Amino acid sequence: MTITLWHFLAVATVLFGLGWVGFLTRRNLITMFLCAEMMLQGVAINFVAFAFYHGNLQGQVFVLFLLAVAACEAGISLALFVSLYRRQRSLDSSDWQELRELGLPPAVDEEPLPAVSEESFPTLPPAGVRPQPTVGTEEVARV
Amino acid sequence: MTLLALSQTQESTIFVALATMLGIAGVFWLLPRPKGRFVPGGIALLIAAAAVFGTWLYQTFGQPMPDVIGSTLFWLFAAGALVFGTVLVTQRNPARGALAFAFVILSTCGLFLLLAATFLMAATIIIYAGAIVVTFLFVLMLSPSNAPSDENDRSREPLAGALAGFAFVGLVLLALFQTSMATQRDHLLAQLVTADERQKLAAAIAQLEAAEKALSGDTSTAIARDERLAAFEMAFAPVRDELAEVVGVSSAEQIQSPQEGSLPQRLGRWGDAVGEPEKLFRADISARQTLTQAATVRELLHQVPQKVEAIVSMPPPGHPPDVAAAQAEVRKLRDAVVILHGAGLLPARNVANLGYVLYSEHLLAIELAGVLLLVATIGAVAISHRKPERSSTNSPTPAPAQAEGVQ
Repeated sequence: MTITLWHFLAVATVLFGLGWVGFLTRRNLITMFLCAEMMLQGVAINFVAFAFYHGNLQGQVFVLFLLAVAACEAGISLALFVSLYRRQRSLDSSDWQELRELGLPPAVDEEPLPAVSEESFPTLPPAGVRPQPTVGTEEVARV
Repeated sequence: MTLLALSQTQESTIFVALATMLGIAGVFWLLPRPKGRFVPGGIALLIAAAAVFGTWLYQTFGQPMPDVIGSTLFWLFAAGALVFGTVLVTQRNPARGALAFAFVILSTCGLFLLLAATFLMAATIIIYAGAIVVTFLFVLMLSPSNAPSDENDRSREPLAGALAGFAFVGLVLLALFQTSMATQRDHLLAQLVTADERQKLAAAIAQLEAAEKALSGDTSTAIARDERLAAFEMAFAPVRDELAEVVGVSSAEQIQSPQEGSLPQRLGRWGDAVGEPEKLFRADISARQTLTQAATVRELLHQVPQKVEAIVSMPPPGHPPDVAAAQAEVRKLRDAVVILHGAGLLPARNVANLGYVLYSEHLLAIELAGVLLLVATIGAVAISHRKPERSSTNSPTPAPAQAEGVQ
């Protein structure tokens, strides 16, 4: 069977939608950034597919500029993450929700996070004589 | 689906809606939450959604055709991109998410390669590989340890987010479907020369070369000349059939009627002899050039046998027939067919052309992109620059005051 333009467009659409879902729902800034990059990849597939089916190079040229913009975006966003992390010690984007629109209620996390169960390893009570460090003498090599 | 007597649009709507619902439920289950996360069920639902999506894609846009390797690679890369994209969206651990993103990039680069964008493939791998490594460093540097945290183990509005994204995807897919139906699948973005026609043209090229060889030989006597002509006709007959299927017949009685070849039919007529308005389904320059080329091939296909026969069978008295001239005629037809064979195909070796286009048509944009990158670098340094602590309040010097004013 032949792969037509529509196949590429459909795959690019799904990739874009997945990135969108991730950008809307995830709260880790780095994951959100990666999801935005994935949306850009979907757009790039569209451009390249149209370039191929029109038989010219304009779409590829556009993707090159898209790459340049994505590189700028990566630099700026990672710098922003560093400065944000310095203030809150966290990558959670909800830590910055006081920037939200006026009149909107704050989002509250209702369900508690699962508690980390500290595994209690069995311990032995100290017994016997504490070994004295031997100072100044050569340690005897034991075979 | 014929049992239910559904129209194709209804069937398509059902398919897309089903895939969308399955995708919503699957991603909803997979998105990290403190309670109510159900990973196996989510994975199963997403696989079901992918299966429905693939079936729909195959049924709607699939056509029976020979390019097995290309289509296998396409399905492989497409599945890779979508699977690892889902992993990136639903994975708790951001480091694993970055790894999944690397695989998304690799799959996308495979798709670029299938679309003859070799330079873009290399550039994307280089740029994004660097970006991914840097992102990885950031993840390792900034993320807390394995303990559950707000940013990794919670999602913002998982149901609404999945709904929004997949509703968008479903709508765009339906719009794609409707566009593809409305344009009768081929006319809007008809490929200039399809793979089928390209095969026929390639066969015709080989046979034309054979016909050219059949002309050379002993042509001193009339019998020998007749033999040569018969051999040429033998070799030329299949060429005529094959080319007629592609570019249309052009014999003396049919020259007034519309051409019937698949290429003029698909792309529309060009320069109709009767004087009807031109019907162009693709009005761009390359389509016009292709149709002109097809017309050239058609005319040559009509003229070349006659010319060859005239040259070979009726030499000027006292001279042997000019076989070289006859072969030149055949070669002219062959060259025209070769040009038509390559029409509309973006060659894989297009890096030099890409550079030429970039530096001739988009020079200003290149410069602007360079300036943008420079500004972004300076901006990143300025943003992440750690400002000096204002500890010098007890010793008022003009420098901190100035700095405050700037800030």
